[in-house]
Amino acid sequence: MAVALLLRAGPRLLIRDPGALGWEVLPWESGPSEEDPLPAGAIRILGRLSATTEIEVGSESLRRAVERLGRRARLAGSETIRRARATIPVPTDARERRFLIDLARARLEEALRDPDEVLIALAREEERVERALGRERNAALEFGRGGDPNVAAYAGRWARFRDLFEQHHRELSAELERAAQRVLPNLTQVVGFRAAARLLAQAGSRAALGRMRSARLQLLGSKRRPSPERGPKYGILYRGERMEDVPPARRGAYARSLAALAVIAARADVHTGRPVAPELKRRRDRRVESLRRGTRA
Amino acid sequence: MPRPSLFRPTQRHPSLWSRPEERYPTYWVETLGSLPPTHGERWSAARGRTVRHFDPYRSKLAAAIARGWEGDLPAVGEHWLYLGAASGTTASFVADLVGPTGRVYAVERSLRPFGRLISAAERWPNLLPILADARRPREYVDWVPPVAGIYLDISQPDQVEILRENARFFLQDRGRALVALKASSIERGVPPAQHARRAAEALAVEFRVGAPLSLAPFHRAHYFLDLNRSPASSDSGPSARRSTRGSGSPGPRPR
Repeated sequence: MAVALLLRAGPRLLIRDPGALGWEVLPWESGPSEEDPLPAGAIRILGRLSATTEIEVGSESLRRAVERLGRRARLAGSETIRRARATIPVPTDARERRFLIDLARARLEEALRDPDEVLIALAREEERVERALGRERNAALEFGRGGDPNVAAYAGRWARFRDLFEQHHRELSAELERAAQRVLPNLTQVVGFRAAARLLAQAGSRAALGRMRSARLQLLGSKRRPSPERGPKYGILYRGERMEDVPPARRGAYARSLAALAVIAARADVHTGRPVAPELKRRRDRRVESLRRGTRA
Repeated sequence: MPRPSLFRPTQRHPSLWSRPEERYPTYWVETLGSLPPTHGERWSAARGRTVRHFDPYRSKLAAAIARGWEGDLPAVGEHWLYLGAASGTTASFVADLVGPTGRVYAVERSLRPFGRLISAAERWPNLLPILADARRPREYVDWVPPVAGIYLDISQPDQVEILRENARFFLQDRGRALVALKASSIERGVPPAQHARRAAEALAVEFRVGAPLSLAPFHRAHYFLDLNRSPASSDSGPSARRSTRGSGSPGPRPR
């Protein structure tokens, strides 16, 4: 049975037409996109193929390109591809490099437009700014009040800078809150937007967050190495919503309860999208009250 | 202040230099890329050459060299497929080793280091970044030609399977593979050395496998594997069982 083989090799298209001898190598100049139409030469060759000729292609994007022309195509096996590419030397040149770098840029930009990725980027940025701001504030406490007029003038300029920095942090937090409410509405209501965003950032992706169980979620963001004897007990959730309302001795208990509720909220956000937050918040607040009264609940 | 006369060429590779320091020799690689160095490593320039420190704590390939691995490094003019390039530290060294006529196709899936990988690729004329998941070679089969070697540094439980699948698509008949195995990401609670042995056994079907080399103390619970695809192994396996005694495999230093 006659089989035609089409492979893309960077900025070139390789075609083995069973009716002709050897390979046809066509230039396939295009921008950084994978959904390019086939070059005109290839369309001509495909048009010449008889209807019974089967077409094998190297990749999904190439298959889509062939099927847009109304021909059916199937994926070639790995061994076929490897053998074929080994027989035809395709020169590597500066164009190929430019093409791949542009393609990488385009793919990266596209991936970074994903709302989850935006939220992760914001969460990391907010964490970084928060740390930097904390450093500045602590340094300001130690700086003291110098009698020297130059020092005083400097301290004034520095204070103005801190105000600006604080304002930047507030704006960033507001942005983060909006993003978190969009991406993880339930989790945000249960643990707060900052913790919700950081949990996602630490988990790495929405899917990973959805797979996590509560014991793992509770430790997420802890810096110590896990170990059965004396591993970490708390992570990001130790700064979760309403933690400050709980007496210090009971905060560990609250962190565990919060993790149990958070995991339900996270799964709802990732999988079902159902609004489970009101009920979870009620349970959370009831837990806070009982911990404050010192009774078991 | 390092004096250039202290750098000695090595037998293994024209771009690899060594320099005796207090307790053990350090290795340096002549760079193709433009300065500043990728990740703040030490460097030194003299007589038109610029070398970068190949830090065993930063790079598992450097750690393997420091631990006495004597197999073949990526050679000048070869094409390599680098899986798990992260932000391109070791990938840039591999690019230096294959030289201006070679190519390194660096695959990384995670978005955040990938931005840094792109900027490294801008400065290395033979480093090509690809944003894709190494589990799905179909995603980059359009861009990667057959290669002389695959370097795999992916901390995933199925790293052995990932290597196999990529070798089917890209590795030339006599190709090689260098693998940095992270035992702790396969399964907890099993001694790391056992993981390395199991991985070596699993790969012995298709490759001649050298004895796993521990990368301690530079990288904890990491092992380095040196693989050769034996010429007869493409369809039948039995000839590939001659484990460690392959050509240029690291003989001593099991662990």
